[in-house]
Amino acid sequence: MSYKISEEGNITTVHLDGEIDMDVVEKAKEVIFPHIDSGKEVHLNLSQVQYMDSSGISVLIESHQKALEKNTKVIIKDVSKSVLKVIMMAKLEQILNLE
Amino acid sequence: MSSATLENHSEKKAFLVKSSSLKEVRTFCRDVFEKLKIEQSLKDELVLAIAEAAQNIVKHAYKDNQDSNDIMVVKISCEDNKLQIAFYDMGTPVDPKKVKHREIDNIKPGGLGTFFIQEIMDAVEFKDGKRKPWINHLVLTKQL
Repeated sequence: MSYKISEEGNITTVHLDGEIDMDVVEKAKEVIFPHIDSGKEVHLNLSQVQYMDSSGISVLIESHQKALEKNTKVIIKDVSKSVLKVIMMAKLEQILNLE
Repeated sequence: MSSATLENHSEKKAFLVKSSSLKEVRTFCRDVFEKLKIEQSLKDELVLAIAEAAQNIVKHAYKDNQDSNDIMVVKISCEDNKLQIAFYDMGTPVDPKKVKHREIDNIKPGGLGTFFIQEIMDAVEFKDGKRKPWINHLVLTKQL
């Protein structure tokens, strides 16, 4: 997994690239969580993520819940078809903010 | 379920029980399903189910033994359009009664892997009878 971060105003966009599984989940949290903790609105761009397993889905849930606690939000953007299928299998498409 | 008749085929591979092996497990599965000419959408689902089962071995059967250099074996067989995926490991014995996913409406991190496996596969079965040196023998099946 690789990543790129861009900032614009109060919005931090994290572009993730590759496959998100148990092996990289801690790295994904290290990349995403500090931005949520700082109270910024975080956009997770998943257009280049072709595979995500239950560990990756857990990061999305945790990010969403952390954002609620911090009174901000996480928006999941440009999700690839294969990852959307996993999100829908987990019945999270109405829970997470997908754009 | 696919209407196409698939060739009978069987292949197995050993992997170190490490989270870093999960990518190799997926590559192995994709290669086998490519040979079987399974269509992309189903292939993605099957790869997810297999990777989740392998992840469960790393995460649960080796929870207290993460520095182990043990191997796990994944065997994919297709016979008469019935796909069977067997997993063998030497970790902590699994009590099948305790293997369950969380309530899907209870939104929290974790507990989804087993749910995905059950959603994707037709049957999930822990086999009795030890085949040395293996401790756990899980079999996932799906009619294609």
